Amino acid sequence: MAEPAMQLLDVNKTISNKQIIKDLSFSINPGEVFGFIGPNGAGKTTTIRMMVGLMNITSGDIRILGKSIKSDYKQAAQEIGAIVENPEMYPFMSGMQNLRHYARMVPGVTKERINEVITLVGLEKAINYKVGKYSLGMRQRLGIAQALLHKPSILILDEPTNGLDPAGIREIRTYIRSLAEQENVAVIISSHLLSEIELMCDRIGIIKNGELISTQNLHDTPSEKQALQVQMEVTPLEKAKELLRTEHNVEAAIKDGVLLLHSEKEDIPRLIQTLAKHDISIYQVGAAKASLEDKFFDLIGENTIE
Amino acid sequence: MSSFMKLLYNEQIKIYIRKSTWVMYLLMAAIIVGLAVMANSFGDLNEDYQGNDWREVLQEENASLTEEMEKEEGMEGFNSDQIAKNNYYLEHDIQPAKYDAWQFVAENQMLLSLVTLFTIIVAAGIIANEFKWGTIKLLLIRPISRTKILLSKYVSTLLFALFSLLAVLLFSWIVGAIFFGVNGFDQQIVQYQMDGSFGHSTPMKQIVEGYGYQLVTLLMMATFAFMISSIFRQSSLAIGLAIFLMFAGSSIVSYFSDKAFAKYILFANTDLRQYAYGEPLIEGMTLGFSITVLAVYYVIFLAVSWLFFTKRDVAGQ
Repeated sequence: MAEPAMQLLDVNKTISNKQIIKDLSFSINPGEVFGFIGPNGAGKTTTIRMMVGLMNITSGDIRILGKSIKSDYKQAAQEIGAIVENPEMYPFMSGMQNLRHYARMVPGVTKERINEVITLVGLEKAINYKVGKYSLGMRQRLGIAQALLHKPSILILDEPTNGLDPAGIREIRTYIRSLAEQENVAVIISSHLLSEIELMCDRIGIIKNGELISTQNLHDTPSEKQALQVQMEVTPLEKAKELLRTEHNVEAAIKDGVLLLHSEKEDIPRLIQTLAKHDISIYQVGAAKASLEDKFFDLIGENTIE
Repeated sequence: MSSFMKLLYNEQIKIYIRKSTWVMYLLMAAIIVGLAVMANSFGDLNEDYQGNDWREVLQEENASLTEEMEKEEGMEGFNSDQIAKNNYYLEHDIQPAKYDAWQFVAENQMLLSLVTLFTIIVAAGIIANEFKWGTIKLLLIRPISRTKILLSKYVSTLLFALFSLLAVLLFSWIVGAIFFGVNGFDQQIVQYQMDGSFGHSTPMKQIVEGYGYQLVTLLMMATFAFMISSIFRQSSLAIGLAIFLMFAGSSIVSYFSDKAFAKYILFANTDLRQYAYGEPLIEGMTLGFSITVLAVYYVIFLAVSWLFFTKRDVAGQ
């Protein structure tokens, strides 16, 4: 298998005797969009700050394409483009001046590359205005532009769609997907907007109290044998529920005017036949796909901010 | 450009693109013009002595000053000083030079404390502002060591001080030339010295000495402000503390002057003029001693700045 783009090895962070991050280990592959989610205070930002070298790692290591951010900082940092928290820029300089400023800090960024990046994030019109006059969405785009200047192998974006309008969100989402798929960039996204993460990411890592409690692949299709949660809109509800129990030994629950039950996929046609035979009106039958939000709350529980 | 030059260029842009920097320069220019206007209207421009009969003019002036002194008691101090100065001209056969641009530049050496003030403001902000703006995060994730970034900021501060010094010199000379004209280099200026007697030197020497000695304070206080800015990441504290110490420095020294440690206080050593003219501030101090003390302070300021800037986490505000 190819070398991971980024690898966290037993990363610990202790701040004034409080362990903020505990033995965090995971890796992100090239071309993968990785969603990094967790409640406020779980340690997302701390982890991201350690990834980019803003914070020291108490113990453990973070490797970027095999190079340690601790001992091989320059080579490692060369491969990273990032926005950490808000995309803050020099307010008294124009967007272009800000980009040139950052371009001078890495070798090999040409004028053409700067213009290319500006076109990419759609800032051509506003690029010569002072950043102080930018809206949050424009600053977000400029933030993404500065992160991409030096063609990094890893892009770390903290809340990248924050402040963007729906069209902007879609644009950035499409762009992030194409970066991953076409240029093989590994993208790490932290966000509170779970639905956003769901649309953009291949895999998610859920962090809680400084520990990684789960990583999940979002594109796994449920296997055939797996019991699905099925939702049926039928009338009368009570009769249908009774029928399912007596005929098929399936326990169903009534919730919000629909019938909820667990069944294997191949059993569903027979259930429907039975209901139809007994003159039950069937309006809709569907698999209730658990959203990321449901998974998230299943894993961390609600109101877990400590 | 080498990568360090690019960093310097970035830092210079960030200083000079801001309006507040130009407000400082405008203020300085206004003060210089103001001083020239004042010297032009109220100052003694030595125009009476430009004829070949300057010796007679000086003698006549002495006579009338003596007469005035006898009539009015209050004028004694000022008049006898003036007479002593006139006699010095006569004894050394120096024709009093007409006031000109060079003398104006030499007299403006007090403006260097203004340059020091501006440099402190820049030094205090150059690290702290990045934290204030939040841009420190984007600055420190580049493939450049923090030491190099810190050095670029420090050198940038010194460059700002240098440019400001040159601006004061150049603008003073231009304004002086417009108001008073320019004499040659060989003119001799008679002036009070620290020990109370008169001496004479060329304006160029006065400029070099007058500005040069003050550069010590500038360098030390700017480095101090830089350090405070690096430790606390807050510019107002750094500006306040540095300016307070700059003005209170000599009082602090005199307050502790009977203590043994007094000579190790930074401000007892910043005025190196004490060795060239007159007695050292505290007995037993030598030029070598002061330079050593200054060097130790300087190294400590820089080392502390470096430690705090490179070793500490950049956490959320």
